[in-house]
Amino acid sequence: MAFDNSEDLEPTPGQRLRNFVQRKDVTQTIILGVVITALFTIFGLYAYPNWMPAVHSKEMHSARLIMTIFTVLSAPIGGFVLAITVRAFLNMHRGDTPPPDQEVSEKSNTPAILVWCFTTGAFVVAAIVIGLLVYNSDTNSAVADAPDAITVEVTGAQWVWSFYYPAQNIHTHTLELPTGQPVDFKVTSVDVNHSFWPVQLGIKVDANRLVTTTAEARPTILGHIDIRCAELCGLNHAFMETGGAVVTASDFDTWVKSIKATGGIEQ
Amino acid sequence: MTTLAHQSEVSSPAPLPTRSLITKLNIVTGLIVGAIFCWGTYYAMRAGRDMTNEHNINKVLILSMFMWSLGFMIGIGALIGPFRWLIGKDLTPEEELYMSGQGQGMKRYFKYCTDHKVVGIQYLVAVMVLLGSGGTMAMMIRTNLATPGSHLVLPKIYNSLVGLHGITMIIAMIIVLTGPLGNFILPMMIGARGEAFPRLNATSFWLLFTAIPVLCSAWFLGGIPTGWSAYAPLSTQAGPGMNSFLVTIIIFAISTAIAGTNITTTVITMRAKGMHFNRVPIFVIGCTISVALAVPAFPTFMAAMVQTGMDRTISTGFYDANVGGSGWLYANLFWIMGHPEVYVILLPGVAALLEMVPVFTRKPLFSFPMAVAGMAGIAGMSALVWAHHMYMSGWMPALNGPFMVTTEFISFPTGLLFLVFVGTLWRSRPWLKFPMLCVYAMLWNLLVGGITGVYVSDVPLDGTLHGSMYVTAHFHYTIMGAALSGAVGAIAYWFPKLSGRMLNERASYISFWLVQIGLNVLFMGMFLVGAEGQPRRVASYAEQFAGGNFISTLGAYTVGIGMLVFLWAIIHSARKGDIAPANPWGAKTLEWTVPYPAPIENFSEDPIVTSDPYGFGKRVSK
Repeated sequence: MAFDNSEDLEPTPGQRLRNFVQRKDVTQTIILGVVITALFTIFGLYAYPNWMPAVHSKEMHSARLIMTIFTVLSAPIGGFVLAITVRAFLNMHRGDTPPPDQEVSEKSNTPAILVWCFTTGAFVVAAIVIGLLVYNSDTNSAVADAPDAITVEVTGAQWVWSFYYPAQNIHTHTLELPTGQPVDFKVTSVDVNHSFWPVQLGIKVDANRLVTTTAEARPTILGHIDIRCAELCGLNHAFMETGGAVVTASDFDTWVKSIKATGGIEQ
Repeated sequence: MTTLAHQSEVSSPAPLPTRSLITKLNIVTGLIVGAIFCWGTYYAMRAGRDMTNEHNINKVLILSMFMWSLGFMIGIGALIGPFRWLIGKDLTPEEELYMSGQGQGMKRYFKYCTDHKVVGIQYLVAVMVLLGSGGTMAMMIRTNLATPGSHLVLPKIYNSLVGLHGITMIIAMIIVLTGPLGNFILPMMIGARGEAFPRLNATSFWLLFTAIPVLCSAWFLGGIPTGWSAYAPLSTQAGPGMNSFLVTIIIFAISTAIAGTNITTTVITMRAKGMHFNRVPIFVIGCTISVALAVPAFPTFMAAMVQTGMDRTISTGFYDANVGGSGWLYANLFWIMGHPEVYVILLPGVAALLEMVPVFTRKPLFSFPMAVAGMAGIAGMSALVWAHHMYMSGWMPALNGPFMVTTEFISFPTGLLFLVFVGTLWRSRPWLKFPMLCVYAMLWNLLVGGITGVYVSDVPLDGTLHGSMYVTAHFHYTIMGAALSGAVGAIAYWFPKLSGRMLNERASYISFWLVQIGLNVLFMGMFLVGAEGQPRRVASYAEQFAGGNFISTLGAYTVGIGMLVFLWAIIHSARKGDIAPANPWGAKTLEWTVPYPAPIENFSEDPIVTSDPYGFGKRVSK
């Protein structure tokens, strides 16, 4: 004997999911989430790299890459949060009396909490792993294993930068670096703390009084470098700037010779 | 929240203890005694000293400032109790009642008053004054930065503006909620008759009060060249204005420790019967975690400043590399306080908005345990992340990796707070009211501040972002965009309880849109120039940054106008606003059962709590 009792059956998980997605509020939220995620992604892929300084080193390339990756990775999370927020904002109850108590009154939802924890946890782990890998590749044997590495001793003093190239035995107030050769900066200060920031190289390190700190860079692309101080160092901190460039090896040799011709001190 | 409490009329005033010294003391006597102590110390110490020696100048100024604070506290009557203890006595019950402000009208706001509601209002006024002056300095900074190469203010003045704006705003934001609402509202929310240590409560406020003139004195002593981070050795070499800074920090740290201990003890020991930990309002939990975090954090800043003072007065050389000291010691001490301090500021604002979301959505708070776990997780993790501020300092590069891990991991508990917000907002129809608008604003601002925080916590990326305007924009999104939005929403939400009147809605909405649009224009402009390579704290900048800076300045003016509108709304509404009903939002927490004006001990009978405070919504079957 056959009989039909389908009306009494619980909906299957697939049916429940289909019903859930087809609800008007859920559809609106999904559409909002997709649009906001797309906007964040476009921002990360196009706007951020265009804002950032020109890439003249491997380190600056890493910085741009991480900025882009993090923005794209965080876009869905931001899109989800903002989609629910924007929908709630657009759906507000107006008037002098409070809205009636909502029928949806869940105090908790374990699957939703687990999904959220897994998603945000994955984002955090991805950010950590990507950051550590890039950091490792930037710092690993950049200079120590490179026989052609150049050493530059950088000194900060209120409010000028000066450079000494020990192998070339020249003193300068601008910074020229040959492309393709790793650079080992040894940085110190004679008065207060400064922060040595060759902007287009994507590195930075404090110049501490009577202490030497180090930073490494691998210049890869020719071009101008702005050198600024990134640590408030007193009255004329804003004006503690100089310039430099990543040049070809032959241009660098020419530049060194021109300084040696003036007694080893840049005029 | 169900309660069995019955309300009673305000009890009749007790007879004044007319012969007691305590009735004669107030802010005026405090100022007079403080000034006598200050100038007396100044002239006594100058005698016979070589005042061309900068160490002698520093000694005289630092001690004079401390004596001002001590003199003021004696003059206002804060030490009458301890003096009596020295002779084996204490205040009489009449004096205790007098000290609680009973029957004194407006005068109690100018006295050493132990009523937590009076202290709350005192803190609120102090916060408004500090935010106003810090905001004015921000406007001056932005005006100078409107065009490249501006000489509107001299670099020396500019650097002082940057430092004093920073410390003024940090102090204001640390107390912006735990001061006014942590004192006025929090005891009522837990069904307490007051704070655990009423005299310490008043002491914490008046100590803060004495720090304000000390900080202002920096302007008359040559300013501070260091920014609010006051890095050594610049701070140890700086002029006399630096003394004002370090004394301010030491006094403020003591005040904060007292206030934090008081609020924590109150919440642990004075909750109403039946208020188990899972029934404690989330705002109370947020405030408690915040102040408990401040208790261990600020002593390190105080220690850093004590050592700065010793370097400046007796050449100890803690931070002087010449004699074996290290500026990194200062940097570590500062940031061990500095990063938890961000969450000391942020958590009360976020918790206040969590408190009101269920009220305006008429839904239960989604996953109360996750909200608590998020805040506790943030507080716990915040103690392990300080050195991310020092990636580029050259101190221990080997630790950069571990600190990158801990710093980025703090995103996880922060994410739990987002979950609670969106879980509560999900499929809701929130009531359009000004405090609810602040929830939306906070979510956007914290999202931007949080995601950009992941960027600057990454070592390779920090190589280009550290010390730039990008970092300035990031932390302003977090502290101003998120925490201040939370604070403004909280003050608006509890305004009927503070003043007995409703906040002017039209002015509130106008201020909201001005502030939020202006804030985003202001700090997006900063993100732009920061990503391009403009250092922070510069009085002048290269031509390439002109566009972003001009946009930022326009945004800053818009924020300034919006905050003025909000200030007008508060002052006007407190005087002439519509009389507020007892519970205008239909909330279920205990403070809304207390009438206005609140009786001296809030409740005539101890309330008994029988349910959680977020019992909104209709049960639905799954």
